[in-house]
Amino acid sequence: MPIYAPSLPPRPALDQGLPAALVIARFDIRRVLKQRVGRFFGFMFVGSLLIQLATLYVRHLLKTQSAFGGVRDFAAQVFTQGPEFHAGILTMNGWLTTLLWFQVALVGGGLVARDSLYRIRPLMYAHPVRPLDYLAAKGLFAAGLPFIILLPFAILPWGMSLLIAGTAGPISVWAPLYLVPSALLIALLMGAVTLGASSLAASPKAGFGWVLGISLGANALGGLLSGLLHQPAWMALSPQALVQAWPALLCRVTEPPLDWIPTLVGTTVHLLLWTFIAARRTRPSEAVL
Amino acid sequence: MTATVSLERASLRYGDILGLSPTTFELPDGGGITGLLGPNGAGKSTLIQLLSGLLPPSGGEVRVFGQVPFRNPAVLSRIGLVPEGDRFPVGLRGHHWLRMMGELSGLSGSHLNAAMASALTAVGMEVNGKKLFSEMSKGMRQRMRLGQALLHDPEFLILDEPFNGMDPESRLQLMELLRQQALAGRRILVSSHILGEVAQLTDRILLLFRGRLLAEGSVAEIRELLDRHPVELRIGAESAQAVARWAVEHDELVALRMEESGAVLAVRNPRSFLPKLQEAVLSGALPLSSLDPIDLNLDAVFQFLTKDHA
Repeated sequence: MPIYAPSLPPRPALDQGLPAALVIARFDIRRVLKQRVGRFFGFMFVGSLLIQLATLYVRHLLKTQSAFGGVRDFAAQVFTQGPEFHAGILTMNGWLTTLLWFQVALVGGGLVARDSLYRIRPLMYAHPVRPLDYLAAKGLFAAGLPFIILLPFAILPWGMSLLIAGTAGPISVWAPLYLVPSALLIALLMGAVTLGASSLAASPKAGFGWVLGISLGANALGGLLSGLLHQPAWMALSPQALVQAWPALLCRVTEPPLDWIPTLVGTTVHLLLWTFIAARRTRPSEAVL
Repeated sequence: MTATVSLERASLRYGDILGLSPTTFELPDGGGITGLLGPNGAGKSTLIQLLSGLLPPSGGEVRVFGQVPFRNPAVLSRIGLVPEGDRFPVGLRGHHWLRMMGELSGLSGSHLNAAMASALTAVGMEVNGKKLFSEMSKGMRQRMRLGQALLHDPEFLILDEPFNGMDPESRLQLMELLRQQALAGRRILVSSHILGEVAQLTDRILLLFRGRLLAEGSVAEIRELLDRHPVELRIGAESAQAVARWAVEHDELVALRMEESGAVLAVRNPRSFLPKLQEAVLSGALPLSSLDPIDLNLDAVFQFLTKDHA
């Protein structure tokens, strides 16, 4: 039984609340929800989702309504069918993932950098918070944010397809089985890059620059090497290319932008590298008082 | 008597740089304030990092409440840290930040609400605690920082340069607050590079310089060092020569500097010299118009000690 100084009152009950990682992640989420930039991106993503749902509905009408018979052949060319269509649900021909990169860079760039700038980390570590808790909290937020955004794109069109046309709808009944894992892999990749980049930055603005710099720089390097060496596999250096590759591979697109092995290797390397950098940069010894 | 803190030849290296030389001292259990003094780069923050469990010692042993503090939740939950600095994220409100810190300490629900109310009351921020940090004065922000350290009712409070940049009124308020906390039974360690402010506050001083513990003791013990240290007195008089003639007859005189309106005397053992000076003035032997002790304070001792060890 611990003995305390006699003049001190009984200590409050500790160890009752949420795990430290969830406390930190929740604090970050609340902060982001209050930001104007969050509302802007919310509008953009909801708009994109609505466009996608409207497209699906139009497709359904073209298929089922005889009045649209005249434009059916033209529509069949515009709205390609098959695995490419399914893979495109998550990427929207690159528009959605590009928007998502900007969003994670803006919001996630400051994830660790803000704590560095305002010296919050030493204070956290002076509480019963382990470096692993901190890293888990930031990782959870960094990967959770793009996943939460992508999830409606993976689920809602599928649900709508089921609702309006049953199993004969434009989207396969089994689509969530490969769209949700694709969304998860995209989110993990974006989360890892964001986390590592933010831990290298000294301020949120610099974090934004680091995320975009890594993403665009690796893309340029991958493009350069694959062009020079005539080996498309080098594009696996680029997180952007990997983000495009996963839905294509999982949806079994006939000509995916990258093959399985480079995609697997590239993703593993990025996940390990950026998580390692973030872990090193958020150690207590880096948290200078 | 048991010790809240005990260091046994504890040292810390940053690569090739020695942040803290092997250091040994103890802070006793129970309430009280200890001042950790030293100029910038003396090793104060390094020592605080060791005590607050942020870093393990490179050598020796650090114990807080009898346990190793490094990554030890059992110890960390009994320590309250107020780090140096006055930067808070834009748009952050005081009570939101306080809530997160409370939750990180393991508080929740009604316990957390009660702890927040109690901490805000203790630091006098019941009304202003909900403001944005950007709307608070520096003194208010420092109170909030202290409030977060008090949330989980720690027995050991560590404050790193808490008076930096504060106006005199806020400084006095914070000092009073710390005295109250010490009276309530908390052991408090306050680091500062300004001796005057710590001398007003503390019953015990640790002097650090270039990573070494130079001196340790109560304010009274430190004052004893004054007797070994030549003290400078500026004596204003119409005739500087008369002052000089009188002064050279005394053994305590170490150095003499003539000025236009008097003389500056460097004397050892001011406790025996000052009564003689008083007697001479009263008897009219010394035509004195003013007396100004230039360095008769703890700053002088600090300079004296650091010069000897530089």
